[in-house]
Amino acid sequence: MSQRDLLYITPKPCRHLVEYKIKNGITGYNVIQSYIKSGFYSGKVIKNARSEIPRCGFCCGSKGRLYVCLICLEVSCSLFDESNHALLHTQSEYGHEIAVDVERAELYCFSCCDQVYDPDFDKAVMCKYGLGLRNGSNGVVGGELRYSKRKRLDFGVDLFLRNDKKLVWDNDRRSKSCFPLGLRGLNNLGNTCFMNSVLQALLHAPPLRNYFLSDQHNREACRKRSSDKLCLPCDMDVIFSAAFSGDRSPYSPAQFLSSWWQISENLASYEQQDAHEFLISMLDRIHEKEVKTKYPNKDNVNCHCIAHRVFSGLLRSDVTCTTCGFTSTTYDPCMDISLDLNTSSCSNRDLPNKVSKPTECTASSTLGGCLDLFTRPEKLGSDQKLFCQGCQERRESVKQMSIRKLPLVLCLHIKRFEHSFVRKMSKKIDRHLQFPFSLDMTPYLSSSVVRKRFGNRIFAFEGDESDLSTKFDVFAVVTHSGMLESGHYVTYLRLKSHWYKCDDAWITEVDEEVVRSLQTYLVFYVQKTLCTKSVEDVGCLPLSPRGDKFVPISGCC
Amino acid sequence: MSALNQDNLSSNSQLASTFFEELLDSVIVDVASESHRIARLRLDRNLDEEEEELRLSAEARAKATDPSNSCEANSKYVVDIFGQTHPSVANEIFDCMNCGRSIMAGRFAPHLEKCMGKGRKARPKSTRSTTAAQNRQTRSNQGSTSSSYSNTASLNRLSNGSPNVGGNEFSNGIAEGL
Repeated sequence: MSQRDLLYITPKPCRHLVEYKIKNGITGYNVIQSYIKSGFYSGKVIKNARSEIPRCGFCCGSKGRLYVCLICLEVSCSLFDESNHALLHTQSEYGHEIAVDVERAELYCFSCCDQVYDPDFDKAVMCKYGLGLRNGSNGVVGGELRYSKRKRLDFGVDLFLRNDKKLVWDNDRRSKSCFPLGLRGLNNLGNTCFMNSVLQALLHAPPLRNYFLSDQHNREACRKRSSDKLCLPCDMDVIFSAAFSGDRSPYSPAQFLSSWWQISENLASYEQQDAHEFLISMLDRIHEKEVKTKYPNKDNVNCHCIAHRVFSGLLRSDVTCTTCGFTSTTYDPCMDISLDLNTSSCSNRDLPNKVSKPTECTASSTLGGCLDLFTRPEKLGSDQKLFCQGCQERRESVKQMSIRKLPLVLCLHIKRFEHSFVRKMSKKIDRHLQFPFSLDMTPYLSSSVVRKRFGNRIFAFEGDESDLSTKFDVFAVVTHSGMLESGHYVTYLRLKSHWYKCDDAWITEVDEEVVRSLQTYLVFYVQKTLCTKSVEDVGCLPLSPRGDKFVPISGCC
Repeated sequence: MSALNQDNLSSNSQLASTFFEELLDSVIVDVASESHRIARLRLDRNLDEEEEELRLSAEARAKATDPSNSCEANSKYVVDIFGQTHPSVANEIFDCMNCGRSIMAGRFAPHLEKCMGKGRKARPKSTRSTTAAQNRQTRSNQGSTSSSYSNTASLNRLSNGSPNVGGNEFSNGIAEGL
């Protein structure tokens, strides 16, 4: 139970509420529960069955805010400046301090003059949906909680560096050891900046880096195991070795390009391409290869290939009938999230020390805003009516996305293009996007989104894990400059709180401020728990049986 | 007659005004109640951090657009952090893994394309990312309107990825477990 408190806390009740509970328990709540009606748009409302409009017991009016006393069910109104019959009621009857707001089904204490909260009341309200009836809500959620936690640990545990096998770098005179390991330029092989930019990001994705550097894809074993000479993971392994070899002269990922073109024939051509498309295609191919050789008969949801283990998350889609509220839920895996740019105009307070003229205050977007847009309820058009089992006919509906399971590495793809069907052309959107260096994904989780849909009640929702892994840190940003048809990709990497610009062969260091002002296209976040120990912090890397540059040293370093 | 109309008008507008005020009050309390719950349940924990990030971002932008600042992001490179310089076309020489010829790095891709046979080019295959093939006709450096994991009818949204969005049926699945 305490784990759930991490996502929200249960506020302390006032002493009046405590006294009420001691005397009355939840009988009052259960009575109120029977009066709760809910429509799709109106949320929870208290409605008397006989008359539609509740009226104040004192004045028979229905203006202002109406409250129902929990003890005697007397309805009274509260017109703030003029008359407060509700307050009068609590003053005239001892012990009747707690009432329920008719409009919102919220508890109110008239002694404290404040809204108060009680998990038992929220539970009573939620049970109106029939939620509490299925095997008891605690039972269902508790069981699921344990299951999901175990799964998450399994996925991540071998992607942490193993401290028991300790080694030290061989002394390579060319390696500038004051610079972070693995920092190395990539030669542009002819319009391949889209590939280089993605490779740079992947080279420094902690779980992916750890996987390859700890030799979990062994090239020799792979050659023996599969007759297929093409292996993208093997080529990735070569690139990882090259990048972390200590050699700082730019590396040419030619073999990788050659393999990738042989595998992805439809994308094989000498021309500029889309970095996001390349990333997805590459992960796809890695998955296919591993599924063929290592993990046959696995479906996408539980796939153990490295691509899925690192990038795969789960999206939840709820489609709700606007008439009766019936909701259909589906889950689908995803390797990344594509976000539309939200529009928001900056306010004066955001630009310190600047007189903002109308022309200067251009609309800017925020990553939080884009994620809000992604998870906001979207009314489907009237031409998209879906069949509702509750109503037994086609109804208009509302769709809402949320994230059921977060990946280890979160890749956010910013859709910087507008397509005009009229003019049959696409245009690039250059608008700036604010993105945080630390991102908490809690508000976009299914549990948060669903909870909010039901009024943020204190209630155990499905998927309500104490997910400490909702906090992410950025480690790579891929930017695009230029136009839709032709431009240039550059990756910015964050290593040990320094930012490095990786422009093909050129590696330079840049200020944090420069990164914040970039026009981002792909933003890569990794779970905080996975990036606290960088390669340098551990000090050494696990044993490589190939014995390239690694020299075993007994004892600690 | 006109005087009567005037009275009607003013009482109507008074009535309208009253209704509006009531609605406004109701909405204000609604928002207050909702925000109160969010604040009490500490669902808005990260507000401070978020504001800090926004502030830093705004400052960075202001600095970047300030003409007095040197455009270091776009300046020509002299040396990289390792002290190296690089030509505009990569001049490392290696052997092509297809034909064995010595090729200069910066010209490898166009060479490989020809080397692997012209048949590699522009023939859409029915792979997972069929839309990628479609997009190749209007080839752009970016601007693919979909990715293979988010194929939907609606170009603007990442759907749940399943191709049968249109055929969704409702069920009472609010508290579904996985």
